[in-house]
Amino acid sequence: MMQGKVWYGKMKKLSTIAAVITAALSLLLTIGIKTVFPACEHKTDTGMWMSCHWAEQAVFAAGIGLCCAGVLAVIVRSPRVRAGVSLGMIPAAISAMLIPNIFINLCMKTDMQCHSVMRPAVMLICGAVAAAAAVTAFLSLKAKERSE
Amino acid sequence: MSLAFKNLRGKPVRTAVLVILTVLLALTVFAGTLTVSSLRSGLGSLENRLGAEVMVVPYEATTKKSFENILLQGSTGYFYMDKSVYDKISKTEGIGRISEQFYLASTSSGCCSIPVQIIGIDPETDFTVQPWIKKSFDKPLGDCDIVVGNDLNAFVGDTLQFYGTDCRVAAKLEKTGTSFDTTVFTNESTIRKMIRASIDKGLNNFKDIDPEQVVSCVMIDPAEGYTADDVVNDINLHIKKVRAVRTKEMISGVSDSLSGVSRIVGILIFAVWVLGGVILLLAFTMSVNERRKEFAVLRVIGASRGRLARTVMAEALTVGVTGSLIGIGLGLLIMLPFANAVEGLLSMPYLLPDIWSIAAIACAAAAAAIVTGAAAAAVSAYRISRLDTGVILRGDN
Repeated sequence: MMQGKVWYGKMKKLSTIAAVITAALSLLLTIGIKTVFPACEHKTDTGMWMSCHWAEQAVFAAGIGLCCAGVLAVIVRSPRVRAGVSLGMIPAAISAMLIPNIFINLCMKTDMQCHSVMRPAVMLICGAVAAAAAVTAFLSLKAKERSE
Repeated sequence: MSLAFKNLRGKPVRTAVLVILTVLLALTVFAGTLTVSSLRSGLGSLENRLGAEVMVVPYEATTKKSFENILLQGSTGYFYMDKSVYDKISKTEGIGRISEQFYLASTSSGCCSIPVQIIGIDPETDFTVQPWIKKSFDKPLGDCDIVVGNDLNAFVGDTLQFYGTDCRVAAKLEKTGTSFDTTVFTNESTIRKMIRASIDKGLNNFKDIDPEQVVSCVMIDPAEGYTADDVVNDINLHIKKVRAVRTKEMISGVSDSLSGVSRIVGILIFAVWVLGGVILLLAFTMSVNERRKEFAVLRVIGASRGRLARTVMAEALTVGVTGSLIGIGLGLLIMLPFANAVEGLLSMPYLLPDIWSIAAIACAAAAAAIVTGAAAAAVSAYRISRLDTGVILRGDN
């Protein structure tokens, strides 16, 4: 009985750490897409935005959603709710990963900023968010099993 | 669970520091070696990409920086000379293979978000571009067929519009690490049609050229018994308003920069390696010094000198293998997806080696990190095996 409680506490603590990591990665995506790895600048001659700009905006919006879900996963106490929120974040992160060049076309040359920096960074961070969310969900479900 | 593994788990901070050091060591050796190797592949690819030993261009083009940028850096642009020059050159002594090329830059409207370089070739005579095209497309280029470079976001079957001319993407080239990757290739008649359309729309400043009577450059390979210098000197002496250049001279600047970058990266790798080795040596020495009493007790309860040395070596190997795997994994995650960004930062021909070469570099980097850690630990293992148990347990150092 005592051992079960210790195990439950350990799992819950680990799932909280994983949820914090998920939220931090979501925040990194949201801030990074506007600062460190944004899409290309607008055209210098006409001032028009290229299509990659709209991919950047869409990733930013998806990032805000992931951040909210990430924070929710950190603050909720119920392992069942935390697992549910985390499981929901996995397809959301994968969808965000597919925005650049699959859902929204990027620029013509793949040596441009949107292809060479934004796309790989978004793919890596979204992949990490999905993996961290999966770990959070797994640990929360394990904690829930022990609590029952 | 083995003693070495228990020791590592018992001191998580010390273990984490040792693993991080090994990660940095493996990451630096792997990323640095891969960068140098990619630069070398890029230079080799650039030499092959130019394809001809001699290139003849309009004289005024050689006085502008844009000339080298178009050929070596992938910038967009164009220059033209009278087609009669081609006929004169072909009659010059010592000419083996000869072919003309046409350059045009697309506008940023129409197909593309930014301009791309368009090169027109004569499929009958071309010997510089077609060997590359044939790797992806083994048919003659038809009218309005185009072959796109690997870095262009277009695929076989797509239709792109240049100056109102609809062109079908017939093939996509393999990655070359050079300006070929952002270029569109087409045949002579299609590019002449585009130049004509561009003039009609008033989009480029061509002055009063007739698209049927111009070429951009002439590519030449000398005939047997003649050298590139013979051909270059002959053309520069006898044909006016053009300049013949040896392609090797053109890339000598790139080659010099590359050797400079390679040297700096090599020095950095060596410095990090030495620094990492020294820090690991110090870390293992301090760790073993801290644990002298622990090792003395183990001796008293029956562990042999060899067993203690093996424990220290097993700890070092566990740390080395873990750190190397993480370091190589991080290196792959940084160097492969961001290869285009690295190329952009270096502004040099950059071509990642094939998968087997990357695997070989990864194994060599992991081995270097593991051996460095093991060598640093071997010194401590030797000292442990020479411990005087009695002196240590009495508290005398």
